[in-house]
Amino acid sequence: MTIEGTQEYSINMGPQHPSTHGVFRMVVHLDGEVVTGVEPKIGYLHRGLEKMAESRTYTQFIPYTDRLDYLAGPHNSLGYVQAVEKMMGIELPERAEYLRVIFAELGRIASHLVMIASGSLDICGWTPWSYCFRDRERILDLFEMTAGNRMTPNYFRIGGVSHDVPDEFMPALKSFLDDMPEMLEEYQGIFFGNEIVQSRMKSVGILPKELAENLLITGANLRASGVQYDVRKAEPYSIYDRFDFNVPVLYGCDTYDRHFIRLLEIQESSKILRQALKDIPDGPVMAKVPKVIKPPAGKVYHRVENPKGEMGWYIVSNGTTKPARVRIRTGAFVNVQMLSAIIAGWKIQDLVTIFASMDLVLGEVDK
Amino acid sequence: MDALNNVFVNIALAIRGLFVDSHSFGADLTINVIVFIMLFLIMVVAALFLSLVERKFAHWVSQRPGPNRLGPHGWFQFIADAVKMLGKEDITPANADKFLFKIAPMILVGITLMAFGVLPFGKGMVAIDLDLGIFYFLAVSSVTTVALLMAGWASNNKYSLLGGLRAVAQMISYEIPLLFSLLGVVMITQTFNLSSIIEAQKTVPFIFLQPLAFVVYLISGIAETNRAPFDQVQGEQEIVAGPFTEYSGLRWGLFMLAEYGNVVATSAIAVSMFLGGWNGPGFLPGWLWFILKMWLIIFTMMWIRWTFVRMRIDHLMHFAWKILLPLSLVNIFLTGIGIYIYQLLILRIGG
Amino acid sequence: MFGKGLLKGLSITIKRFLGPKIAEGYPEEKPTLPPRTRSSIVLEPGTCIACGLCVNVCPNQVINLTSEKDENNKKVLKTYYMNFGRCLLCGLCTEACPTSALKLSQEFENAVYQREELLWDMIARSKRSNKSSGKVG
Repeated sequence: MTIEGTQEYSINMGPQHPSTHGVFRMVVHLDGEVVTGVEPKIGYLHRGLEKMAESRTYTQFIPYTDRLDYLAGPHNSLGYVQAVEKMMGIELPERAEYLRVIFAELGRIASHLVMIASGSLDICGWTPWSYCFRDRERILDLFEMTAGNRMTPNYFRIGGVSHDVPDEFMPALKSFLDDMPEMLEEYQGIFFGNEIVQSRMKSVGILPKELAENLLITGANLRASGVQYDVRKAEPYSIYDRFDFNVPVLYGCDTYDRHFIRLLEIQESSKILRQALKDIPDGPVMAKVPKVIKPPAGKVYHRVENPKGEMGWYIVSNGTTKPARVRIRTGAFVNVQMLSAIIAGWKIQDLVTIFASMDLVLGEVDK
Repeated sequence: MDALNNVFVNIALAIRGLFVDSHSFGADLTINVIVFIMLFLIMVVAALFLSLVERKFAHWVSQRPGPNRLGPHGWFQFIADAVKMLGKEDITPANADKFLFKIAPMILVGITLMAFGVLPFGKGMVAIDLDLGIFYFLAVSSVTTVALLMAGWASNNKYSLLGGLRAVAQMISYEIPLLFSLLGVVMITQTFNLSSIIEAQKTVPFIFLQPLAFVVYLISGIAETNRAPFDQVQGEQEIVAGPFTEYSGLRWGLFMLAEYGNVVATSAIAVSMFLGGWNGPGFLPGWLWFILKMWLIIFTMMWIRWTFVRMRIDHLMHFAWKILLPLSLVNIFLTGIGIYIYQLLILRIGG
Repeated sequence: MFGKGLLKGLSITIKRFLGPKIAEGYPEEKPTLPPRTRSSIVLEPGTCIACGLCVNVCPNQVINLTSEKDENNKKVLKTYYMNFGRCLLCGLCTEACPTSALKLSQEFENAVYQREELLWDMIARSKRSNKSSGKVG
C-alpha cells in the first residue's frame, strides 16, 4: 500500500553482505522501510556433494559430510554412519556409542553458541558475540585434542569412532561443564535480559504453529512455536533413550523465543553430557567391520536431530563399494521458506533479526 | 598554579605584544588564525586518538588487548591509520551527483569546526567569546542533518538513500529534547554565554540541580552523534554504512573526523553546562580539569556503545517524542517552580 | 524496575573491561598444538614400502607415487608427490599406512605465495631439514 506519489523499490541484499549468514542472496521489495516481499536466491555455495558421493567409497565420503553444517562439526556424520550401519546391520560397542553421543552433543552446543552470537551481532551487539566465541573455543579445543581438526574433525567411522579419547579429554570436558552455568548467566545478563534486545525481538516475526507444521519446519524453530517434536524422543536413535533429558518448548512463536530456546537446549545438552561422562564404560571403540565396506544392495532412510533441524539420509546401495545415490535432507534447506512466508509487514531491521533467528547455515542449504 | 592556569592566555598576550598596537587588526587576525589552526589540530588529533581509544575499549571489553603493534602497547596506531587513509584510492560512483557528493564531507567537517569555536577550554580560553554561545552551538550543529542527507542522496545507492532518510528522521527528532534539556540550565543562569555559565557553577555544578536534564542531554547527545544504541544511520548490519557506503579514502576520513569531532563537542558542552567546566580543586590547572571531565563523559559514551544493541527505528522515534520530550518539559516546569520558590525565599529572607 | 537488565549488562561489561586479557599474542606466542592435530603431513621415505594404500584411500586423489623393483624384487619408493592444495587434511592416509611412514605433523604455517609451491615433493621435504615437519629452519 503506497501513498500517492511514492513507489515500491527493490534492494538486493546480495551474496556479500555483512549480515547474511554466508553467501545468501535475497531480493527485498520495500515500501519505505516496510518489507512487502522477499525472494531468496540460493545456490552460491553449491559444491555438488551428493554427486561427489557417487564416486567416493563410504568411508571416503565421511570428511565431506563435515562440510555440510560446518558449525556443528561431528554431528553431520552421525546420521550418515548410522544409516550405513543400519544397511549393514553392524552393532557398535558401548564405548563407541557413548563417545558418539558426547561429540554429537558438543557439536550441538557449538552450533547454538554461534547462533546466539550471530543473532546478537546482527543487532550490533559486538560483546555477546565475542563472549560466545570465547566459550566455543573450548569445545573446538576438545575436538582438536581428540580427532585432529577443529571444525571438520572426521571422527566417526562406519562401525565406531576412529580413535579413543586421550587422557586430557575427560578432565577438560568436566571443567567445561562446570563453567557452563556461569557462562549461561553471563549471556542472560548481557543479551537476553537486556531490555533493548527484548524490545527488538519480542513479538517480532511470529511463526504460527499451523504454518510451521505446514511448511515442515523442523528443529528449534518448530519447538519455539509450541510443537513438541524432537527426533531424539520421537524415534530414538543411538542410545538417546538411556538419557534423562527434556525437550524445551516455548509458545511465543517470536524471534526472542527462537533465540532463547537454543539457550535452553544448551542446558539440556549439558545434562546429557554429564550423564554420559558418568556412565561411559571402557572397551573398544570400533566394531569388527570388514576391511572393505560393501553394504548389500538396498535402500535405507535414517534421520537424526541436527542442531539446525531434522537431517535425513537416504542411501541407495547397489552392492559395490560406492553408493549409487546419497540424498541428504537438511533442516536448513527446508527452513529457508520460512522467511518469505512470515516477512510481509515487518521492517528491514526486523528482516535481519528474523533471518538470524532462523539459524541457517549455507553449507546445509546449498550442499 | 596560577601560572599554569593562565599559560595559554599569557602566550596569546605575548604574541599580541609583538605588534605595535596590541589590539590592531593585524594582531587580532594573527591570533585568530593561530587559534583556528590550533582548533583544527585539536579536532584532528582528538578524532584520530579517539578512534584508537574506541578500538582499545571495545577489545578490552572482549578480553583482548586491542591494537598492540605500533608504539608502546599500540598507542601509535592512529598515525598508521591516518597515513593509510590519505593513501587510499578515491572512488566516485559513476552516476553520483558529483557536486553534492564532494561537498557533503566538507560541510560536515566545517560545521564541527564552527561548533568548536565557542567551547571554553579554560578560563579565558574561548576562541570566540560569544554572548549567544550555546544558542550558536545548537543552531550550527543542526546543519549536520542536511550534510548527511546530501551524502545519502548523492551516492546513487539505495542503501545510502535509506541511511540518509533515517538520519533526517533521527536527528531532527532528537534535537528537541537536546534543546529543552539545556533550557533548564539557561533558565537558572539567565545567559547564553558559556563562560558565564561556567562561572555560575563555582560553588555547585548544575548536575546536582538538574539531574533529569543531564540524563536527557546525555541520551540525546548520543543520538545526535549517531552512536549505538542509536546508530541506525550507519546500521552496519542492515544498510552497510548508510550514507557513508560509497565514500573511500580521505572523504571517508573526513566523515570519521566529523563524527569524533561531534563526540568531543557534545561532551564538552555537557561538561560546560552540567559538570562545572574548568572549575575544580586547585592542584590541577583549569584546562586539565576540563579535559579530565570530558574524558569521563566520553568513557561513559563508549561504555554504553559497547554494551547495548541497536534500537529499531520506530522505537527510537517513540522514545524521542513520547518519552524524552515530555521528560524535558517536566524538567523545565520543575525548574521554573524551583526558581520561583528560590526567589520567594530570598525576598523573604532578604526583606 | 525498567532498566535493570541494562544496568546488569553495563556491570558485566565493566567487569570484563578491568579483567585480564585472554587473547593469544600470535606471532610472538605460538600455540603448542595437541599431538593429533592434522595440520601437515610428513613422509619417512626409508620406512615406506610403496604399497599404495594411501593413494587408494585418499578421497581427493592428492597423492601419487611411483615405485621400482630392486634386486630382491621388492618394491622401493622412487617418487612421492602430494598435491597439498587439494588435500582435505582428513587424515585417512595416515591411518591407512601400515608402517607409519606417513605421519601427521603440527606445523600449521604452510601458506605459500604461488600455487605451484603447493605440489609437495615429500622425499625432498624430508631430506631438507632434520625437523620432522620438513620445514627448513
